[in-house]
Amino acid sequence: MSETISQSLMRLDAPDKIAGRAKYVADLKMKDCLFALTVRSPIAKGKILQVSLPAMPEGYQVVDHRDIPGENIVKIIYDDQVIFPVDEVKYIGQPILLVVGPDKRIVERLAKAIKIEFREEQPVFAWENSVIRYQFTKGEGDAPFASAANTISYTYTTGYQEQAYMEPQGFIGHYDRGKIVLVGSIQCPYYVKNALIRALACDPDKVRVIQAAVGGAFGGKEEYPSLIACELAVAINKIKKPIKLIFEREEDMLVTTKRHPAQIKLAAAIGADGAIRALRAHVGIDAGADIGLSGVVLSRAMIAATGAYTIDNLAVSGDVYLTNTVPTGAFRGFGAPQMLFAIEMFIEHIAKDLGRDPLAYRLDYLAKQHDKTSTSGVFRDPILMPEMVEKAMAMSGYAAKSERYPREAGYRGIGMSFFLHGCGFTGSGEAKTIKAKVKLEKDSEDLVHILIAAVDMGQGVHTAMRKLVASIMEIPIETVIYDYPDTDQVPDSGPTVASRTMMIVGGLVARAARALKESFIPGQHQVAEEQYVQPDYIKWDEDTMQGDAYPAYSWGVTVVEVAVDPHTYQVNLEHAWSVYDCGKAIDELMVLGQADGGLAQGIAYGCLEVMEHDQGKIRQKNLTDYIIPTASDVPAMTTMLIDNPYPLGPYGAKGVGELTLVGGAPAVAKAIEMAINKRITKIPATPEAIMELIKHG
Amino acid sequence: MVNHLLPETLEEALEALARKQHLLFAGGTDLMVQKRAWAGLPRNFEHPVLFTSRIAKLNFIEKRSDHLAVGATCSLEMMLEYPDTPDLFKTIIGEMASPGIRNHATLAGNIANASPAGDTLVGLYLYDATIVLKSLRGERLVPIADFITGVRKIDLAQDEMITEIRIPHQDFTHIDYVKVGPRKADAISKIAFAGAAKTNDLTVSDIRAAFGAVFKTVLRSPATEAMLKGMRIADIKADLASICEAYARLLQPIDDQRSNKEYRKAVAINLLARFIKSL
Repeated sequence: MSETISQSLMRLDAPDKIAGRAKYVADLKMKDCLFALTVRSPIAKGKILQVSLPAMPEGYQVVDHRDIPGENIVKIIYDDQVIFPVDEVKYIGQPILLVVGPDKRIVERLAKAIKIEFREEQPVFAWENSVIRYQFTKGEGDAPFASAANTISYTYTTGYQEQAYMEPQGFIGHYDRGKIVLVGSIQCPYYVKNALIRALACDPDKVRVIQAAVGGAFGGKEEYPSLIACELAVAINKIKKPIKLIFEREEDMLVTTKRHPAQIKLAAAIGADGAIRALRAHVGIDAGADIGLSGVVLSRAMIAATGAYTIDNLAVSGDVYLTNTVPTGAFRGFGAPQMLFAIEMFIEHIAKDLGRDPLAYRLDYLAKQHDKTSTSGVFRDPILMPEMVEKAMAMSGYAAKSERYPREAGYRGIGMSFFLHGCGFTGSGEAKTIKAKVKLEKDSEDLVHILIAAVDMGQGVHTAMRKLVASIMEIPIETVIYDYPDTDQVPDSGPTVASRTMMIVGGLVARAARALKESFIPGQHQVAEEQYVQPDYIKWDEDTMQGDAYPAYSWGVTVVEVAVDPHTYQVNLEHAWSVYDCGKAIDELMVLGQADGGLAQGIAYGCLEVMEHDQGKIRQKNLTDYIIPTASDVPAMTTMLIDNPYPLGPYGAKGVGELTLVGGAPAVAKAIEMAINKRITKIPATPEAIMELIKHG
Repeated sequence: MVNHLLPETLEEALEALARKQHLLFAGGTDLMVQKRAWAGLPRNFEHPVLFTSRIAKLNFIEKRSDHLAVGATCSLEMMLEYPDTPDLFKTIIGEMASPGIRNHATLAGNIANASPAGDTLVGLYLYDATIVLKSLRGERLVPIADFITGVRKIDLAQDEMITEIRIPHQDFTHIDYVKVGPRKADAISKIAFAGAAKTNDLTVSDIRAAFGAVFKTVLRSPATEAMLKGMRIADIKADLASICEAYARLLQPIDDQRSNKEYRKAVAINLLARFIKSL
């Protein structure tokens, strides 16, 4: 079956989802359930002087920091995020307390009647308070700048992006004989569980976390759910009844994490021959009020500093800035989309400034197998980019169009991005932090249960894992069971993030499946377990950021063609073509689904999705004002997958989830740049921004 | 106790309105959003709701001798499918919201909502549509431009309801419409422009321009239109810059979470200029 692994199956979750039978968290009901509503900070920074409660009717309570049995910390990476504030608030929308009770009308009325007196302080919105600073160099670092014939510098800016998953954040939980059980819309059951253990100061077996059906997460349900899970668990611990905490869409958009806004300063030392002698990069990202995952986001951005190119001398630095704004966090791509936009535009801008043909100039720098990565690791596996670029150009007619459109000055443009994505956790995360464990259990009826914490959030992992196990064990897929993860049943195979699920977790599942197949005894209960072991040749030094940042890389080329309306400056997306190397598709249709969705999200990041804050308040708080593309906006897409099996991935699979997003923004920005013959250094390139460029350069 | 009503006849509805204030609810595609509440709770209607959907007499669209009459509960989709709906309105409705919304939404509701960005409003202003209002006291015919008095403000007494919209027949030789939305469907206009003209050979006998989302109501300039009527096309084109300037002085767009005033003004004028050049 290995030859046919890519052949598509009907998604096993599709019938329930299409028929409306799938139970999302808001659909779950429990007897005598109470409802929780969050009272939030209306100010960006200040001290809480006094909280005055109205008379609370029987059965209605507030839950705040005084009710936390353990530490008032949301366990993520740094201990800087509180569950409920004690006496100070750091951003508009920060949760202060919960109002809990049986009748939503009364809960709402009580929440409105709570008066909180603040002493406001001057909030910080400028990027000046750096809390994390990283740097690394490669080769001679930035020494070549001293002898450069020419220096070219540009600054690139990217905005917020909202995940806009289908259902807002939420949990329902209850108290079950000394144990707190939460069911939620989540990506990482064990992140939530570990956060609860710390907040409740309880034994691991006193909390249980179960995934509900998830209609998309895109990183937005990676670390954020830990906060509301802690709030809710504290409430359940106090009240000992079922409680539901579900956000409304506006609440969700105002207060949950988004993609980090970034400012990326790039400078190139150019030799007399026009070659890039060295690159200097500084990446600044806005963490909002809490660090959260920002350090890891920053390192992924910095490591992507040279994009799909090899540049020998490099000096990269970066800062995470705290501001009094809503915390930013994980979002498909995780720092890479910001950096890939910047570097893709920069190499093009260098070529243009030097009067060189941008495509030829870029092709000269494309990374090749055995080249050193930005962090002086090695690209060990074959890189098929020249072949992929050729295919993308042939499909899109790039050569002829890119010659013709600028000459015709008819407001048409075509742009091509080259990109890569490091698969799995950055650096030693997999080996040192995650240490993924998987388990396959065959029962006496020979049904094989996949016991992993990986979450199907619409990407199809339930189908793909079952297919993988069925294929390796040569058993019918109907005999492979994969339920929604429940921390009482499954080991910690790590979070469902970082394009790691198929490559890393799937790799372990495949090993377990082979072991189970070899030892198969019909009718007997059997277990196969595997744990992640870093390949010996992967070396990474956390402190110096040197070595192999990722075990493998997926690669891509995306071409986008646009027409810009000269009267309204609106961008019409004419067509998009992509070629991806994600090793081996475990299911072709599923990968194509990821490709369509990822590219739509990536292109929209580049030209459509505007989110800003005004004095710390998010201005686009619903899907009327925050513009994600509809089916009418998304261009026709032609996608080609190239096989390039990765030896350690199951059937050769590498990461796919994020790869398809990261090339969208630079491709569309380059296409717009060609159409209007101006330099684009900021995304999203909205009609308003395009008008400004046309009128004032 | 809130008493919601589902009258079957117009008389029943008017009697209820004469007794006390009601919130008139046609398709509800704006109201259900504006009055939204925490999931699971009823909508926040501050008055009893009078649902107009069962009043069969108002569910019509009809071509009459000098106008098209659209009943207050006629859905936009029905209007889109009606053969004698002017092309301009078909274009406007075809780009509006999404099919699901259009099957519920009504022209009357779009008028009563009185948003400066209301999609059908530029068309209704351009065509000099008339709103028919009824109450137990009788009937009033009010031009659209008088009926809408400001942002979300309309000239409707507590005991009145819109029963019909009359769109006069026009024989324009040129018609232009552009909705500048942030995306292609389910979008609120940043700017809307509609232009119409009637020309014969070299002169213009009628010319109109209506702008949406760049003023507190849809904007037309009767003075500028009157000045242009009867002029030679060539002279109008020669005068393009000063015509654009005259309109630019009238537009008062705002900065908001969807766009900015510089863009709104510049694009509105670009669209006007393109329309004039097309004559």
